[in-house]
Amino acid sequence: MKLAVVVQRYGADINGGAELHARYIAEHLAQHAQVEVLTTCARDYITWKNEWPPGEERINGVRVRRFAVSKPRDPHDFGRRSHLVFERPHSVADELAWLDSEGPTSPDLVRHLARTEAEVDFFVFFSYRYYHSWHGIRAVPDKAVLVPTAERDPAAGVSIFGPVFRGARALMFNSFEERALIEAVSGRTGPGVVVGVGSEIPDQPQPGRFRKKFDVRRPFAIYVGRIDENKGCRELFDYFGRYATMNPRGLDLVLVGSRVLDVPVHPRIRYTGFLSDEDKFDAIAASDVLVMPSRYESLSMVALEAWALGRPVLANGQCDVLRGQVIRGNGGLYYESFEEFAEALYALEGAGPIGGPFGRNGREFFRRHYAWPVIERKYLEMFDRLKREPAAGALDPVPGWMARRKRDRPPAAAVVDAVKAGPVVH
Amino acid sequence: MADFHVRSDSVDVEQIMGQIRTRIREKRGADYTEAELQHLASVKLERFLDSRGVRSTLVEAFRKTRVASPEPPSYEFTDDTLFESPRPWLRRVRRALAPILRLFMNPDRLSAALRVQKEVNAEFHQRFRAREEMDPLYYEVVHNLVLEITRLGIDVQNLKMRVESLSSRLDFDERRGRSLEGMVQRRGSESPRMPEPGPRPPESVRYADGPRAPDSQSQGAPAGPVVGSSAPAGGGLAPQEPRSDESRDRRRRRRRRRRRPGQNLASSPGGTPGPVGGSNQTGDGHPAQAGGRNASMSDDADGGDGPEGDGDEPEDTHQ
Repeated sequence: MKLAVVVQRYGADINGGAELHARYIAEHLAQHAQVEVLTTCARDYITWKNEWPPGEERINGVRVRRFAVSKPRDPHDFGRRSHLVFERPHSVADELAWLDSEGPTSPDLVRHLARTEAEVDFFVFFSYRYYHSWHGIRAVPDKAVLVPTAERDPAAGVSIFGPVFRGARALMFNSFEERALIEAVSGRTGPGVVVGVGSEIPDQPQPGRFRKKFDVRRPFAIYVGRIDENKGCRELFDYFGRYATMNPRGLDLVLVGSRVLDVPVHPRIRYTGFLSDEDKFDAIAASDVLVMPSRYESLSMVALEAWALGRPVLANGQCDVLRGQVIRGNGGLYYESFEEFAEALYALEGAGPIGGPFGRNGREFFRRHYAWPVIERKYLEMFDRLKREPAAGALDPVPGWMARRKRDRPPAAAVVDAVKAGPVVH
Repeated sequence: MADFHVRSDSVDVEQIMGQIRTRIREKRGADYTEAELQHLASVKLERFLDSRGVRSTLVEAFRKTRVASPEPPSYEFTDDTLFESPRPWLRRVRRALAPILRLFMNPDRLSAALRVQKEVNAEFHQRFRAREEMDPLYYEVVHNLVLEITRLGIDVQNLKMRVESLSSRLDFDERRGRSLEGMVQRRGSESPRMPEPGPRPPESVRYADGPRAPDSQSQGAPAGPVVGSSAPAGGGLAPQEPRSDESRDRRRRRRRRRRRPGQNLASSPGGTPGPVGGSNQTGDGHPAQAGGRNASMSDDADGGDGPEGDGDEPEDTHQ
């Protein structure tokens, strides 16, 4: 079987959620099939500037073929078009212009997909919202498998994605909430399965090594990820400051990751900077609880990693996906206000009575649903099923020149807001 | 903070979240949402009550900047005013032609209206002056009100903090009382033995206000595994074995200490004993925090010589 993984960026040092997800999947599927990664020369997801040379290379044993981005993104133009498409009534032409503006615009990549369609069994596209997925799936609909990595943000309500969601052969969802959202906005009924992604968890993380290396002596809660307002870090700092005042001997907070937002100077907040995987896993293993303050997540890999290491998770309950994962996995608590944050953090302290059971539940949840053999099997079974079943047919065509310019599309944010929110609990 | 009572791995996220919310509701006294609280917090009154924002020299500053409004210009008006002029020949001409003007209009009505207007202006000015005389008094009253409100606001904040402090102390005392009662009953069910030195087991905590699983400890049924506990369960109401003199002495000492003023050991309702025991270390081997939940109670409690002693001040109330 020959597979092509199509993703907007690809590299061993790229740690973005969808890109890392794509790399893990490509490397693991390479054990069962011939896998080639098709991607762009971009490294920066803001500008999509060509930073790698076009052509072929091998990364961790997987062949990677890069194509140039024809024009970098203009952030101002993209911001203006996003406002139009998300907030105001607009036309299909506006949405297509928004997609072009978002990038990474690589017609060479799309042409390559059409050219090699006969040689490849399935194209696995990552991230529905980018140029390569929309044009790529339209180029090879009968062999397109989409990993949407959709969050509950306005982009999911942009109308041009509806035919793509409906027309792809299969969708590999990260969570039940993502599946519910996409099926609600697009009306899709075709094959799909909630898969998610595993992680490369070390067998023997050493919490003592982290404590010694960073001179951390007290019990602590940990946040791992980009320290950014969009990730809920400002709210986390506010809540933790108040919690620390109320609990002079409670947990400290350790922050791991690159910094976009200033970390407040506080005797109980510790910032370690970006860590290697080894240090990161040591840090999680040394922590009492992992805090996930983000409101927008399609799947939190770091939460899965914490569970794999037997640590409970305290998640922002306003993120349906995280809340659903916590409830389904029975591996932590969630909060929607400061009071809940303080009470839940207090409850999850490692020395407390429920942190341990939640951690054990999380570990079991990870083992049952997110261990690599489970993930690989779900992909392979889906490919087998698609081989057996006939393709549903062509995608809905793009409207004609006049119809494209009719301002009859509702604001994308309103479309998403109309979809029922909340975790999916089975 | 809440106490928890959890059996083995049978934790349920929604159940515990329900308990947390119940506890928060009880603490707040009213079920405000976070948005409502934010709205309340953003009310400008708070700034008004800020004592630093009040100017004690407000009245003086007002008096200094106060300027009396000038007299309005006088508009004397008579029947001849319409025909007046500084030039005598023009005045004469106007008077001569006045009968012709009266053929076209009635200037007497105009003169009368303007005369009334002049009287209204004078009356208004008189009233305005009287109001200006009153203004400093109003300012003084408002100034005093602001001072009083500010003072009251500060008093309210101080009282709130005192209530919170007392509430946390009471909370701690209740928990401590419950644990001590549990200790007494558990000791009663064990065979008499000398207190042994060694690591101090942590206090097992429980969520006292949430829905509970049947409490086997209080019913004498075999207990399920309890997280953080290594003590045998089922000792709550079990028949007590004969005790040695030493055990009796210890019990007497305990009772004497309970009777000391300031202690609140038997005040908590439903003080079902919590299990005691378990490891004093966290899962990964680092020591549990000193003075934290797990270090607040130990077997040493009935000896009276432990670090906790009889002090009413909690090491750490988590409040």
